Amino acid sequence: MAENKANTHQILSVAMDIGKSMIRCGAEINRVEETVTRICSAYGAESIEVFSIVSMIVATVSRADGSTDTQTRRIYSYSTDFEKLDKLNALSRRICRETPAVAEVQRALDEIERDTRHLLWYVGVGHALVGFSFALFFGGTWKDAASSAVIALVLWLLTSFVKVQGLSKLFFTALSSAALGFLALFAEKLGFADNASMVMIGDIMLLIPGLLLINSVREMLCGDLMSGLLRLLECIILALAIACGFAVPILLFK
Amino acid sequence: MTIAKMITLILTGTLGTLAFALLFRMRKRLILWAVLCGFLTTALYVLCAQFWDHAFFQNLIPALFATAFSEVLARMTKAPTTPYIACAIIPLVPGGALYYTMYHFILGEMSLFHEKLIETLRVSSGLAVGILCVSAVMQIVRLKKPKK
Repeated sequence: MAENKANTHQILSVAMDIGKSMIRCGAEINRVEETVTRICSAYGAESIEVFSIVSMIVATVSRADGSTDTQTRRIYSYSTDFEKLDKLNALSRRICRETPAVAEVQRALDEIERDTRHLLWYVGVGHALVGFSFALFFGGTWKDAASSAVIALVLWLLTSFVKVQGLSKLFFTALSSAALGFLALFAEKLGFADNASMVMIGDIMLLIPGLLLINSVREMLCGDLMSGLLRLLECIILALAIACGFAVPILLFK
Repeated sequence: MTIAKMITLILTGTLGTLAFALLFRMRKRLILWAVLCGFLTTALYVLCAQFWDHAFFQNLIPALFATAFSEVLARMTKAPTTPYIACAIIPLVPGGALYYTMYHFILGEMSLFHEKLIETLRVSSGLAVGILCVSAVMQIVRLKKPKK
């Protein structure tokens, strides 16, 4: 039996790591808590107390043999990666079904973690398409859409190649907004676009925290008020950061 | 709204859904369903915009539909609901209104600023209430279902 070989500490540790990865991919909080609970139960935990918000997971597990363990995980940043989230869900389902040895779970988790392809071509295509389609959607011309797409690509390349991991999300958003604003106004001045506003609106959609708002609403409904409120607050602050960022080029050049 | 304008809105909205499905790195077999959901949601939005002049209702109805359809798709494809909702609702997110709110504020055009601010809030609350209603119903349905 694999479960006897593993000690409580190792089990909780790997369950928490999976939970942390899930939050970092944009999972809902109640899903994370449920996953940690299920993994620990699969390995024979008697009681599990999990509490999680978007930046922290705390869990205490106790087993029938009297061993208990408490661990915390701090989450500093999160983005959206549904493919990775899917793999994590598949892994946790497998754990509950087969209860493999902890070392094997750790190996599978490491493999998922290592698979960080920031420069996937379709993420780039996604950026360009967002700029293109939303510039048209909000009433821009073909020229606006084309320059919006190019500017979105430039932003993507900049953020992929220049390491900005240490930067806070707030500052990053404001800085990107300002850069997008400058580029859009340049495009208009040089005659690549008819209306800089349309270009900016197209590119704003890249920064707007739409998923955050959806997660916030759904979490508050599930009773995860803390996470829901944190996300809602983040939405509002990010919207302000976007506004401040775009304000700089408009104030300077309009 | 002219027919040409309506078609442009629907097509670009659908394209926007596809773009976000790529950005969020959805699995390839799910992307097609997400795009279908986005297409229907945007079409419904354009239709609603014909009947109501109020930003809240214009966005509430498509949000209700998008969430309900996403729940159906999620069950059909055995995938989480949130990615579908996120992709489908993206075209309705008030990026334009937010931009104009800020724009008029900077230029000191206060009455226009107020108007756009209210519009931004109306649109986002319409979306939030739409998602909330359907999610609440789904939660009740889930509780009713006997646990396996």
